[in-house]
Amino acid sequence: MEEKKIIKVKCFRFDPQKDEKPYYDTFKVPISGKMSIQDCLVYIRENEDPSLAFFINCRLGFCKRCLIRVNEKSCFACLTVVEEDITVEPLMKDKVIRDLWSKDI
Amino acid sequence: MGEVEKLCDKVISTDLLIVGSEGAGGHAAIKAHSQGADVLIVTKGKIGQCGASQMAGVDFNVDGKTAKTLGFTGDDRDSPERFFEDLVREGLYLNNQKMVEKYVEYAPKAMKDLMDWGMRIYGYDSVHAEEMARGITSAGTYWVAAIRKKVKELKIPMLEDTMLIDLLIREGRIAGAVALNIKSGETILIKCKAIILATGGWHRAYSFNTGSYDLTGDGIGMAYRAGAELISMEMVQFCPITMVWPPKDRGSIALYVLSCIDPFDKYIQLVNNKGERFMEKYDPINLEKSTKEIVSIASELEVENGRGGLHGGIFFSLKHLRPKFIDAIIRIANNRIKNELKDTRYEFTTLIPELIKKCKTENIEVGNGAHYMGGGIKVNENTETTIPGLFAAGECSGGLWGAVRVASACTEVGVQGIIAGEVAPKYVKKVEQAEINENQVREILDRINKPLMRDEGITPNELTKKMHEISGKKVGLIKEGSLLKEATEELLEIINDDLENLCITSTKSKELNDEWIKAIELENILTCLYLSAKSSLIREESRGEFYRRDYTHTDHDNWLKTIVMKQKNGELDIKFENPVVTKISLPKGKLTYQEAIGVATASLKRE
Repeated sequence: MEEKKIIKVKCFRFDPQKDEKPYYDTFKVPISGKMSIQDCLVYIRENEDPSLAFFINCRLGFCKRCLIRVNEKSCFACLTVVEEDITVEPLMKDKVIRDLWSKDI
Repeated sequence: MGEVEKLCDKVISTDLLIVGSEGAGGHAAIKAHSQGADVLIVTKGKIGQCGASQMAGVDFNVDGKTAKTLGFTGDDRDSPERFFEDLVREGLYLNNQKMVEKYVEYAPKAMKDLMDWGMRIYGYDSVHAEEMARGITSAGTYWVAAIRKKVKELKIPMLEDTMLIDLLIREGRIAGAVALNIKSGETILIKCKAIILATGGWHRAYSFNTGSYDLTGDGIGMAYRAGAELISMEMVQFCPITMVWPPKDRGSIALYVLSCIDPFDKYIQLVNNKGERFMEKYDPINLEKSTKEIVSIASELEVENGRGGLHGGIFFSLKHLRPKFIDAIIRIANNRIKNELKDTRYEFTTLIPELIKKCKTENIEVGNGAHYMGGGIKVNENTETTIPGLFAAGECSGGLWGAVRVASACTEVGVQGIIAGEVAPKYVKKVEQAEINENQVREILDRINKPLMRDEGITPNELTKKMHEISGKKVGLIKEGSLLKEATEELLEIINDDLENLCITSTKSKELNDEWIKAIELENILTCLYLSAKSSLIREESRGEFYRRDYTHTDHDNWLKTIVMKQKNGELDIKFENPVVTKISLPKGKLTYQEAIGVATASLKRE
């Protein structure tokens, strides 16, 4: 199999119902082949923390709803390739429903 | 407020509830609303940004003669009668011919609507490789945008990011439904006289599929629980040349689409891990241009015999071409996509040119993704299910296609959307709102809340993995009795035990709780997969998209019948029904699988 590189994905976490303020969780994600931000988030949700909230639908750039902020720049999670450690945040930090999903998407 | 109104967080009343907002649901809503019906759309995502329609290629079908009346080039050799005959013959006669007649008759109406609503059209072309052009090409994104614009213009009430949980039945007919707002976790009691289900397929039963994330068979699962009949659940279409690797592009059918378009189709080769052009062995005459079914089965056989790639696929290759020639192909593709069509979709503007370029140095791993669900909720030509007040349109319905989906599914959803939007309002006028059964609402809420209350058991992620193991190994493209038998037993055990032990421990929050939504969806997906495996085990022949290696003949004498399933007193009730015939009588005899689909040259021998 291909060699796997491990990257760190630092995720914005916030549940307005129970958290006083936002915090960050860092997850290790093995990168194998070209992976998108969304692939990393799916990996985290399926293997590390199933409670991570983020948007996923078409996975191929059709629905244009998976807008997210990566290293402080907005982008589509399904179309953006990850190669190095990243910080992932919701589009609007002040309008968060939970974690990476803000009210405007 | 009565007792029943207090059970859910919200209560809404409407006459006609439409579940799904895209190709079928959106179209139905516009039609029903324009007839003055009181309509509410409930959709799992946002209109125009969810479901399968957005991802469609896309082509619509109208017979060549009628196409001329819509202003297209058309083809005088064609006629509605000829189109009808092709659909039944190529569907291998399992079609409900009354539904096929409606498909042909309403196809131009569906097209006209979309043109009136401003959908951008690319042209008139032959897409499904028919002898004559019958396809009007566009993009799925334009299609759903046109529907969204119209729905918004008409101000049709809509609940977005809301999934339906179950149908409410009183004295055998529709009384309402319970829904869940995915964002807020609020439950909603919807009182209504009729429901149109337009919820699409159940792709997520397969880990490798070409659909969007929200296709979890919700409509089929709910209809089955409510006692509606399902039909042809064994008919699952797999799409060859679907991207297997890398993860980012997994599930994309961009290369399959490219392989159908002139001039690219001339240059594409499929090879195994030894670099052998394996179609030479399976279908030496047609090669990669053989039918979708033959290419799929051949690819699968190569993988099975250890000649596949690391990720379970075979390879799309342009290695036989010189790099300069590949550059020329990229130029042609770019010119066509960007300059002529002005397409804006990522798959076409970016992914295709990138992949072709990559082909200069390496092959691309591709395989068979679960693509289209041919069976579903049994409906008649008026989209009526076997439950009064319940209608189904689009991919969640079954009966139209028979054993092969030979023409446009986009046209199917438009046609059935129109019909449902015409028929359901008439039904609504005739009936009174049925009383809601309080106990049923209570049971539904208890059921969905149980996984949140449990602190131990199996998690939705664990159960999904278990399900994907079974679907991938035992209910895939090439079917076999012994494996199907194992699959049905294992799936039944999962349904009886694991589903009852689902637990959500990571967060008990009801807002955007993906684990909780997955738990609810799993019941629907597992229902679909189990019934599909069971139906596949029963059908002891091969026909069109359905291939059993232990019964490789297409057996017109014994199997020109459909398998109909429903739940009766908590048990699965199975019966056979003859296909509805209007004009084309059913053939007799026993043909080889290849003869029946018209590729007598192909060999599918097991090594």
